[in-house]
Amino acid sequence: MAPALNASPSFLVVLLFAFLGFSSGNVLFSTLPRTLVVSASPQPGQVLKAGEDKITVTWSLNGTAPAGTDTSYKTVQLKLCYAPVSQVDRAWRKTKDDLAKDKTCTHLMGSRPYEGGNQTYEYLVQKDVPTASYFVRAYALDGSKVQVGFGQTTDKAKDTNLFEVEAITGRHASLDIAASCFSAFSVLSLAGFFMAEKRRGSHPTPSPVANM
Amino acid sequence: MGTIEDDPPVKFALPVDSDHKATVFRLFSFDKPHMRAFHLSWISFFSCFVSTFAAPPLIPIIRDNLNLTSTDVGNAGIASVSGAVFARLAMGTACDLFGPRLASSSLILLTAPAVLFFSAASSAASFLTLRFLIGFSLATFVSTQFWMSSMFSPSVVGTANGVAGGWGNLGGGFTQLIMPLIYAVIRDAGAVSFTAWRIAFFIPALFQIMTAYMVFFFAQDMPDGDFKSLKKRGEKPKDSLPSVLRGAMTNYRAWILALTYGYCFGVELTVDNVIAQYFYDRFNVNLHTAGLIAASFGMANLFSRPGGGILSDVVSRKFGMRGRLWTLWSVQTIGGVLCVLLGKVGSLSASITVMIAFSIFCQAACGLTFGVVPFVSRRSLGVVSGMTGGGGNVGAVVTQLLFFHGSKYSSETGITLMGIMIICCTLPILLIYFPQWGGMLWAPSAKNATEEDYYLSEWSVKEQENGYHKASLKFADNSRSERGKNSARATAPAQGESPLPL
Repeated sequence: MAPALNASPSFLVVLLFAFLGFSSGNVLFSTLPRTLVVSASPQPGQVLKAGEDKITVTWSLNGTAPAGTDTSYKTVQLKLCYAPVSQVDRAWRKTKDDLAKDKTCTHLMGSRPYEGGNQTYEYLVQKDVPTASYFVRAYALDGSKVQVGFGQTTDKAKDTNLFEVEAITGRHASLDIAASCFSAFSVLSLAGFFMAEKRRGSHPTPSPVANM
Repeated sequence: MGTIEDDPPVKFALPVDSDHKATVFRLFSFDKPHMRAFHLSWISFFSCFVSTFAAPPLIPIIRDNLNLTSTDVGNAGIASVSGAVFARLAMGTACDLFGPRLASSSLILLTAPAVLFFSAASSAASFLTLRFLIGFSLATFVSTQFWMSSMFSPSVVGTANGVAGGWGNLGGGFTQLIMPLIYAVIRDAGAVSFTAWRIAFFIPALFQIMTAYMVFFFAQDMPDGDFKSLKKRGEKPKDSLPSVLRGAMTNYRAWILALTYGYCFGVELTVDNVIAQYFYDRFNVNLHTAGLIAASFGMANLFSRPGGGILSDVVSRKFGMRGRLWTLWSVQTIGGVLCVLLGKVGSLSASITVMIAFSIFCQAACGLTFGVVPFVSRRSLGVVSGMTGGGGNVGAVVTQLLFFHGSKYSSETGITLMGIMIICCTLPILLIYFPQWGGMLWAPSAKNATEEDYYLSEWSVKEQENGYHKASLKFADNSRSERGKNSARATAPAQGESPLPL
C-alpha cells in the first residue's frame, strides 16, 4: 500500500483538478500549483522594443514537485502578463481568480508541447504589445486544454523581476503629411466658399414669387 | 417692403403654406428646395456623428497604443461632448444671422482637420484635445433643426425635425459598425494594428468634407432663397443679435427643454461613448461584436427618433400642444425606467434586448422634444434650438462626469443611476405652459390668449411699426393647429389680431 500512498496525494490533486475542469468549467488561479520554474531573458527593468527585441523563455518542472505531477501536462502556454503597476486604473487588464475572466495575461507568446526537462522558446515582441511593465507566465495545460499548473518569472506579489516593453507609436510621416494636406484643403475650401458667397451676394438671385 | 415682380408665383414641388414652407413631407423626393435641404442637412449631420464617435469602437486598440487609463478614456469621452455645448449655442445664433447653409458647411470644414489629425495622436492629452475639437461638429444638429423649421410647416415640422435629427444621429451607430470593419480591412491588408486605426480615420474625415461641399453647392437656406439674397431683396430684415439672444434666454420654456433634452439626447451621447466598451469588458465579446451591439443602439435612430417626431405631429392633430407635451413626458420617463433595468440585467441577451427597448424610447423622446421646440419662439428659433441642443450636450457631460468617470462606479451601476436621473430630470416638462394652448396640467388661458399675442410679444412696438414681425404673424396663423381638434377654441376666430397693417 505504501507506494500507492506516496503517489496518491498528487494523483488525487490531479483528479480533483480534472473534476473541477468537468464540473465548473472554470479554473481558479488560486488553486493552480506552481509546478514550473520559468525564467526569461530580460533583466529586471530592461526596456524591450516591440517589433525588434526578443525574449527567450526557459522552463522546466520544479524539482520539489512530487513525481508524476506532470503526467497530465500536454502543452505549455507562454504568456506575457501585466505587472500590477500597469493594471492601475485599467479595468480591461484586471486580475480575476477565475481564469476564464482573468485579463492579466492577454498576450500569447507561444505554445509548445510539454516534453519534460529544460525547454526554451524564443519570442519576438509583437508590434501590438502596448507600453507597460510585464512578467512571463507559463501555464501547463492537460489534454483538454485546461490549466493544471503554472510558473512565472516573478514572485507571488508580482513586483520583482519585471521588465518593460516600449510599444511602437504606429505613426508614420506619410500619414502626418496626408493629414496636413487634407486639412489645408478643407480650410482653403471654406475660404473659397466665403469668397464665392460674397460675389453671389452682390448679384442676388431674382425673387421666385410675386410680392403681395 | 420688397419689390413687385411681374413673374407669376413660382410653383413649388410640394404644397406650401403662406410662409412657403412645405405642408407635406415626401421622404423619397429630392425636389428643390424643401426635400433637397432635408436630405443634404441630414447627410452632413450624419457625417459629423460618424466622425465624433469614430473613436469609441476602436478604444480597445487606441487605449493600448496611447497607453490610456480608464480615467483618460472617460475624460476624452466627456471632452467629445462638451465642446458642442457652446458650439450649439453659437450655431443657433449663426443660423439666425447667416443662415444654416453657410453656418453648417463652415463648421464641418473647420472640424475636419481634427478628424484627420487623429492619425497623429500620440498621448492621452492629444487624444483628448482631438476628441474635444471634433465634438464641435455636433453643433450641426442645430442648423439641421433650424433648417427643417424654416422649410416645413408646423403640421409636419415634428416629422421633418425627427427624421433629420434621427438619421443624423444614426451616424453614432453606423460608426460603431463601420470603423471596426475599416480597421480590420486595413489591418488585414498588412498594416500593423497601431497604424491601421490611424489610417481608418481618414475615411470619416473625407466623407465629412464631401458633405460640406454638397451642402454649399446644392442647398438653400429658405424656401424663397438664401439669407444673403433675401436680405438684399429686402425680404429678410437684419435682426439684432442682443434681441434675438434676449428673446430666447428670457423664455423659461427654452431652459426647461434644454434640461430635459440633456436626459434623452445627452443620455444617447453617453451611451454612444460607453456601450461598446461596456459589452467588450463585461461580457467578454470581441471588438467586432461589441461594435455590432453598440451600433444597434445608434441605428435604432433610423425609425425611433423620426417616430417620435411623427408621433408628436399625430398627437398634435387631436390634442394640440398639450398632447405633444404629455407624449414627450411619458416616452422619456419610460426610457428612464428601461435604463434602470439595463443596469440590472446580467445576461448578454437580456442586456441587448433591454438596450434596444431603451434606445427606442430614449431616441423617440429626442424627436418629441423637437416637436415642441419650433413653437417656443419664432424670432429666436435658432437660439432656442441651440440652447436645447446645447443642453443635450451638458446632460452628456454631467452624466459622464457623475457616473462614467474613473473607477468609482461599475458601468452597470452607472447605467442604473443614469436611469434614475432621467426620470427625475424629465419632471420639469410638467411646468411648460403656453397661454394660447395650455400645458400638461393646465388648460389654455381663460383670457382667450392667441398665437399672435404670444409670437408678437417677441417684437417691440417700434419693430412692429417697421414691419419686422411679418414672418412671426404668418407663423402664428399657421400654428393655430396646435389648439388640437375637439377643443372649443379650435374653430373660434383668432381674437386680438394685431391692429397694425400686415
